[in-house]
Formats: sequence, structure tokens, C-alpha cells
Amino acid sequence: MSEQARMKFFCDTNRCIECFGCSVACAEAHELPVSISRRKVITMNKGVEGKEVSTSIACMHCTDAPCAQVCPVKCFYIREDGIVLHDKNKCIGCGYCLYACPFGAPQFPRDGAFGTKGAMDKCTMCAGGPEETNSAAERHLYGQNRIAEGKVPICAAMCATNALLVGDAEEVSAIYRQRVTSRGKGGA
Amino acid sequence: MKNFLFFILALFFSVSAAYAADTRIWGEMIIPNILAYGTAENYNLGPLFVLLQSQYLRLVFAVAVIAVPAIFATHYFIVGPKVFIHDGNKIYIFSVFQRIIHLLAAVAFLLLVPTGLMIIFGRYLGGGTLVEFARHIHGFATIVFLVSVIPMFLFWFVEMLPTTYDIKWVFILGGYLSKQKKEIPAGKFNAGQKMWFWMCTLGGFVMIATGIFMYLQDFDYGIATALGVSQIDLLRISVIAHNILAVMITAFFFTHVYMSLFAIKGAIHSIITGYKEEDEVKHLHSMYYKKLLASGKK
Repeated sequence: MSEQARMKFFCDTNRCIECFGCSVACAEAHELPVSISRRKVITMNKGVEGKEVSTSIACMHCTDAPCAQVCPVKCFYIREDGIVLHDKNKCIGCGYCLYACPFGAPQFPRDGAFGTKGAMDKCTMCAGGPEETNSAAERHLYGQNRIAEGKVPICAAMCATNALLVGDAEEVSAIYRQRVTSRGKGGA
Repeated sequence: MKNFLFFILALFFSVSAAYAADTRIWGEMIIPNILAYGTAENYNLGPLFVLLQSQYLRLVFAVAVIAVPAIFATHYFIVGPKVFIHDGNKIYIFSVFQRIIHLLAAVAFLLLVPTGLMIIFGRYLGGGTLVEFARHIHGFATIVFLVSVIPMFLFWFVEMLPTTYDIKWVFILGGYLSKQKKEIPAGKFNAGQKMWFWMCTLGGFVMIATGIFMYLQDFDYGIATALGVSQIDLLRISVIAHNILAVMITAFFFTHVYMSLFAIKGAIHSIITGYKEEDEVKHLHSMYYKKLLASGKK
């Protein structure tokens, strides 16, 4: 591969069965507080036969991440592989990233005095943060760093129907393309 | 007064109640929010905020913070300050209550403006604890500002209404471009003070409201529904309005400080002691002075 891989999530809506497994696995793996849900399962056209579609969304790790563009303290950084991460020790909890985000990914724990907003929390694609890799500090602030251990992010790893895909954008789209073209061509 | 205190207390309690509200950003609304992002239906607010914040905000603030004091420094050295007789008669113009309220507002501004600038230029301070502390002070100072701006609005409201000679004042820029000591058309407050008053009160109410929206973030008082926008768009409108108004209020605040501390020698004493020099009133507030003479109060 000549170009650096760009890590992306993709959820195959033909496979997602709204089991919430990804969301629960994420919350458990990273020991998130109750108020935070980095990954969400959403269902459109609920109850409409033939039209009901479910998908799983979290931070989309945008190439031109608008959150990083608006941050007044520049706490975001984009890894070479395209994973968008942020430094919770720099974050001031102002909420600008939320206003800029198209997907509602940034969330804010109310853990300060008088319930003020704390440092922002969002999906890290299981890649931790700027602290020393797999250190206690990194785990405490961002959860597991599975990428550093060579593992797939927990949400995709546990997806029972393989609906949630993660990896280099080219490879993810190749898998999906293959799924689409092979559809209806099975049989004996 | 009792009602006023009750109102303030009720506000605090409703603030804490808001946390219990169902999420209006991350719940069911997440789908329409995603679909509306960057479309004309929601006035392109998301990308607009990204553009303003990433390209223009810091630049505009830097220009305001540097250019306004630079203009005044130039004015001070070229035209120079106005000096009035300070051992003559004095006129009592500000009551104790007004002076205390003004003091509270002054404290609030001395906390709000620097901490606000610290947030905007947070990246040059390295972010983290220091800037987060500034954000908390910014929120706390809002309470001091709210307590002072309401009575201030009420007791100066009538005297701050614009009059015909205010137009004249604007055309001669209050006479600040010349050293000549002549009678300037102005009532108890001149047109410049009136502009600052309306900016500070009406603009201040908008600043407080939008600031509270951003502080609470995920609440449901029917405000977004009443405006016909989603909660996230209400926050986007709030941050854009808050930051644009902030530039203007900061520039006016610098002007107010320059006028009281430097441009008119000793002018600040009137808001401390309540007395203004008769010579100063006669020249800079000539209409008010004539009214005092006519009513026999002077």
C-alpha cells in the first residue's frame, strides 16, 4: 500500500439488527459513566414494515474534522491513520466541538462543581489518548487502547452480524462492495 | 427587592432541575440533527459556526483588542485629555444605590472581559486548568452581572432614551477631536454613554441568555421549540450571537474605561463619590446643566 491507511467506521444497515451490543460493549470496555454513550444504535422509520433501518453511530473520525477546527484550545489531534483524538487535560469543556459536529459525537460529563461541564468525551476508535500508551492515566481518561495492542475496536470486534466494520477506508469499502455485488447471487 | 431575590433563587433551582431533563441532543433528535447539518433548512448554522470560529473570530478579536486601545493612545498623545476645574462647585448626580450597582457591574466586567478573552485565545495559553478556570470565573461573574444589570437598566432607562441633540453629538464625535472647551449638546448622559448603555443592557441580556443556554447545553424549557429550531441549532445561534456581541461589548468597554480614566481627567470620581464637577457638567452635559439652571436646582 503506497498511501497511509485512513481508519474509518462503516455500519452495514442490511446487517444491523439493533441489538445494542456495540454500545454496551463500548461502555463496558472503557468503563464509561452512565451519562456517556460513545456509540449509539439508532433506528429510522420505526415500525414501518420494510422501511425500518438501524445503524450504529459514534465519532466518524472525519478527514476535515470540524471539531478540531473550532477548538479554542487546540486540544484535538489527528493521527496519521486518520483517527481523531483529543487531549482531555487541555480540553476546557466549552462545548464548541459539539456545535461543530454533524453527528452529535462529543459529550460532556457533568462532574464539575455545581454540575459544570467537564472535559469532553467521545469515541477514540479504541486508540486512547496522548498519554503514555496503555498507561493507567490513559486508561482512566480514555479507556482501552486496543489499537496499540493490535486489536480491532471493541464495538466492531463484538458485532455478531459483522454489520459494523472498521479499518482502512479502502478495505472497508471493498468488503461492502463485495457484499452488495454478491447479494442475491447465492444458491446451490 | 424580595421578589427580585426570589427570582434569582428560582433561577438557580431551575438551573439544577434542567439536568434531569431528557436529552434533546443525543437522544431521538440525533437523526434529524444529522440530516439537517449543512442544509438551508437550518440556515447552514453548523458550517457557518465552523467558518466563523476557525477563520475569523480570533482575528476580529485580535484587531479589536489591539486597534481600540491603539486609537485611544493616539488620541491621548495627539489631542490629549479634557481637563476641567476640580476645585469649583460640584453637582450630586449618582445616588449611593446607583454607585453600588455600578460597582458590581464594574467587578463583573473586570472578570467577564479578561476571562472571555482567555477562552478565545485559549490556545496561546495552552488550554487546560488555567483556561478551564477562566471559563468557570466567566460563569460565576455572569451572576454578578445579572444582579447588577437589571436594576441598572431600570434606574437609567428613561435618561438613556435617545434625543434629537444626540445626533449632533455623534456628528461632532462628542467634541473629543478638538482641545477646545465648548458646550457639547448632551443630557445627563451623552450619546456615547447611551450607546454603551443599550449595548451593555440589551446586549447584556442577550449575552446572559445565550451564555446560560451554552452552560446548560441540554435542557428543555420550550425555548428552542418556541423559536422553531432544534436544541443543537439553538446552541449554534447562541454561540454565534454571543461571540459577535462580545466583540462589540469589549470595544465599548475599552472605550468606557478610556473615557472615565484618561480622556476626561478625574471623571471617574463621579461614580465613586457621586459628585461631578460643575465645570464638566456645564461643558460636556450642557443640556442637562441648562435644565438644572432652569429648574432652580442649581
